[in-house]
Amino acid sequence: MKDKIIKPDLGFIKEIIAGGGESLKKCYQCATCSVRCSLSPDNEPFPRKEMIKAQWGMKKELLASPDIWLCHQCGDCTTYCPRGAKPGEVLSAIRRLAISHYGFPGFLSRWIGKPKFLPFLLFIPALFLGLAILVKKPLFDKLGIESSVSQKIIFASTTIFPHWLLNSFFAFFSCLAFLSIIIGTIRFWSAMKAQDKGTSPAKSLVKSLILALKRIITHEDFSQCTTNKWRFLAHSLVFFGFIGLSFVSIWVITSSFNPLFQKGLVYPFNLLNPLKIMANLGGVAIVVGCLLMIWNRLKQKNIGTYFDWFFILVLLAVGLSGFATEIFHYARVDTLKVIVYFIHLVFVFILLMYLPYSKFAHLFYRAIALIYAEYSGRSNETK
Amino acid sequence: MNKKLAVYICTGCGIGEALDIEKLLKVGTGEGKAPVCKAHTCLCSQAGIDTINNDCQVEGTNTIIIAGCSSRVNQDAFTFDTSKIIERVNLREQVIWSQPANNEDTQMMAEDYLRMGIVKAQKTELPEPFKPNEDISKTILVIGGGMAGMTASIEAAYAGYEVVLVEKEGVLGGFSARLYKQFPNQPFSLELQEVSHQEKIKEIESIERIKVYTSAKIEKIAGGPGLFDVTLKHKGENVQFRVGAIVLAAGFEPYDPAKLSHLGYGKSANVITSSLMEELAKNGKIKRPSDGKEVKAVAFIQCAGSRDKDLLPYCSTFCCMTSLKQAMYVREQNQEAIAYIFYKDMRTMGLYEDFYIRAQEDEGIFFTKGEIASIEPTQADNLTVTANKTLFGRDIIVEVDMVVLATGIVPTTAIKRIIEEAPIEEKKEEPTVPQDAIIKSDILNLDYRQGPELPGLRYGFPDSHFICFPYETRRTGIYAAGCVRHPMDMAAAMDDAAGAALKAIQCIELTAKGQAVHPRVGDMTYPDLFMQRCTQCKRCTDECPFGALNEDEKFNPLPNITRCRRCGTCMGACPERIISFKNYSIDIVGSSFKAIEVPEEDEKKPRILAFMCENDAIPALDMAGVKRLSYTPYVRVVPVRCLGSINLVWIADALSKGIDGILLIGCKYGDDYQCHFVKGSELANYRLSKVKETLDRLRLESERVKIVQLSINEYDLLPGIFNEFMETMEKVGPNPFKGF
Repeated sequence: MKDKIIKPDLGFIKEIIAGGGESLKKCYQCATCSVRCSLSPDNEPFPRKEMIKAQWGMKKELLASPDIWLCHQCGDCTTYCPRGAKPGEVLSAIRRLAISHYGFPGFLSRWIGKPKFLPFLLFIPALFLGLAILVKKPLFDKLGIESSVSQKIIFASTTIFPHWLLNSFFAFFSCLAFLSIIIGTIRFWSAMKAQDKGTSPAKSLVKSLILALKRIITHEDFSQCTTNKWRFLAHSLVFFGFIGLSFVSIWVITSSFNPLFQKGLVYPFNLLNPLKIMANLGGVAIVVGCLLMIWNRLKQKNIGTYFDWFFILVLLAVGLSGFATEIFHYARVDTLKVIVYFIHLVFVFILLMYLPYSKFAHLFYRAIALIYAEYSGRSNETK
Repeated sequence: MNKKLAVYICTGCGIGEALDIEKLLKVGTGEGKAPVCKAHTCLCSQAGIDTINNDCQVEGTNTIIIAGCSSRVNQDAFTFDTSKIIERVNLREQVIWSQPANNEDTQMMAEDYLRMGIVKAQKTELPEPFKPNEDISKTILVIGGGMAGMTASIEAAYAGYEVVLVEKEGVLGGFSARLYKQFPNQPFSLELQEVSHQEKIKEIESIERIKVYTSAKIEKIAGGPGLFDVTLKHKGENVQFRVGAIVLAAGFEPYDPAKLSHLGYGKSANVITSSLMEELAKNGKIKRPSDGKEVKAVAFIQCAGSRDKDLLPYCSTFCCMTSLKQAMYVREQNQEAIAYIFYKDMRTMGLYEDFYIRAQEDEGIFFTKGEIASIEPTQADNLTVTANKTLFGRDIIVEVDMVVLATGIVPTTAIKRIIEEAPIEEKKEEPTVPQDAIIKSDILNLDYRQGPELPGLRYGFPDSHFICFPYETRRTGIYAAGCVRHPMDMAAAMDDAAGAALKAIQCIELTAKGQAVHPRVGDMTYPDLFMQRCTQCKRCTDECPFGALNEDEKFNPLPNITRCRRCGTCMGACPERIISFKNYSIDIVGSSFKAIEVPEEDEKKPRILAFMCENDAIPALDMAGVKRLSYTPYVRVVPVRCLGSINLVWIADALSKGIDGILLIGCKYGDDYQCHFVKGSELANYRLSKVKETLDRLRLESERVKIVQLSINEYDLLPGIFNEFMETMEKVGPNPFKGF
């Protein structure tokens, strides 16, 4: 009996309220939200039960729930809530706390969530990049690399940033970030397992993975939103734009030692190179998608939190600074190109390195939750 | 009074076109022997009124029969000075609007109604207002010094009346004096307020017209409105005085928690009631009773015993607000302390919803619907509360320092304080009329034949279920206000008190004029008992719905006219037919329907008589006419004050005259009765169960008499009721007494 006793966590409630769920306590449990939600499973539907658990500060149960991630925040529940309790916003705040909770190391999670740390967060990549510039010459000399090698790569190696240095620099930090997010998702997975103790899986892990990936790629969950139909488009643009850019980037970075890839790659690509077209289209998709998201948030007023804006604006900044660099490159305005390229690199760093702690992490947590939902039989078979 | 009749037939509104007015006038001059008998095209016009007044002056007519529209309309126009007897005959709604024009049967109906009206007018005497021999007091007695009682006193005093306020405790304030704070009682206010009883007490002290007795108890109240003789026990001495009317604001007591052992009461000192919680809060920091530890977690259990058919079946309306308020006490004391609220339904009506929302927004107050499965003490003196059917979709358990049971309220009138020594021996007579349960709560101690307290409607609330009329109790001149009437919060109780005070004032003023109070406001007639023929059968004293009649030691009825509502139930009850009103008696009504011309059997024109209640059934019949609903022309309607006033002799008389069938149409009775005199239609139904003997004696079929319950809005059912009864009569066949 002892373990069944509920102990409300007042601090957790305050965190939800501070993190965008200030309407949380307005909920009076009518369950309009659960009825309205097109993604909620028929059995124990969300977000009604999440609302009362959040009101009661039941932190452990909420953070170990796949349901908070099954929500795609279309806003149907918030629109129809008779008391203005905004379940969508509350779930979003809980997801934010989940990212922070599972994030490793914890202090980085806390920094991302607070505006006062923003200058510091910007300073870190700037510092690293600055150091890289400073140590380039001694490093070159020590390693015996001739500058002329990189001179050939006109775009990346303005003399300031050697291509290889950047590649290894980003690869290293990306690996760290990836490691961190893996730790987070494993924590999340085991928390979900622990919560569902005693229930047997509904599907095999592989089948669940395939089904979840299908759901993610087709964006079928987004297509069921009724209040905000535009979100399907906006999220698809950003999602596929990012996939496209990632693909090109990985191709480029790994080209020199990946036997599968074409040798003698010339970088930067010709504008008509299929990879270049893909990268540009991806960039456009991200910028357009982000602008759509921003436009909608402004239109709806009071929607979104710092945490949310941080991610969108960083993504937009990456896109815009990337295009600016490209334009200055072709326009041969070298000074400006160097400056915006530096900015671009800072934002890319922020986007990738802070991934496990920013909203970007939803990519992983939601994927894991979707897999778990299939695995545990939490999702509706057909809807 | 030397009567001189004048009959006026209005030919307006289509009456002239639908009826043979000449023949009607002949009824007036011929059978009616009226010296003045005229037709007028528009009697309610100034010209019409002038004609009537002129005849009064010139011809000296003083008994005026106006045949035209319903007596329910044009009352202003047809009001004459009090020296005139006015009788109105309804030829419009009840004849030409519901019957075909220029038809033999329609004409017969109109003539019959005119005959009935003339006979009634001939028999009616001018009423004289009742003036008691003793002086009428205009003082108002207020019982109970809580918020309702204090407000009633203040309102009555400001209206210019002397007030005596009686409180059983040593200080005024009532239940509110026990509170730490009160929840907001003004619109849009969300803050807890200081309890406002102190201001009221100061106000009362500043008003000279209010005489306050604290630590006082009412020993006896005798008499009736205007003449209530009150005996108080105050400081060991008896104080006697006379008052005119009484406001009962005796309040409530919290429901007895001893019956709540299933909620842990008695198992631990830390399971308390909301009233004890107020005391704890009043003493500074809220500390739990067992060890004086400051509370960090408190569970509030709503509807503790309430809305439970085996315990307290009703909702006490303010316990939800009280618990919200007390949860805020807990939170205000310590920002880390938490409060759980387990409810069946949160009921915070009207603008109180804002206060509920405010409490919900407090992150330390946790709500869930749920049924309490158990409340058990732990070793550390804590309590575990297990609830099932919660909003979590599963059972939950919380551990708390203290549990507060939000107990409901019980009106003081529902608490039996006088225990009878020996049960009254059972009478083995024929089944009598169902008697009202009177709980001896030792509040009023009325010197009334029917019992010392107010009869309750349900759950011991002394309400009377008067349609649309709050504050009325079943004892004239005693008006209930506040929680003794039904559960309500402080703001509502104060409104209630003002209303009840106004009712008390109305009662005093009407009584002083010798007039009846609601629902026959202004009626100056009253029952006159011809005592020489009384057989001391006690039916009148038993059956009076208002307990107006006392008895002497020989069981002679002793009427208290100021208590009387003039319903005539006593008149209906009396087997000796000795009770009559100046304008309403066994003879007046009986003679009027005996004036109906009953055609011979071979004419195939049956006659049915419908006794209809003036309060609801007659307005419904008028409405049927307004809607031009048509029904059998063989019915003749006799309006009665209440079905309770129907004496069985009328039924026997009507049947022996050759009337084929008799309908009694009155208000609904039972738990949700609509009878304006509470028990009239129920009594009529009870008496009819005995009419079979009469019918058997006359060798008549029991189908010939039928009682029907009708609401005022069911006018559309009336044609069906008449026609169906007519069909039954056709099947039963004509009354064999025709022509005797």
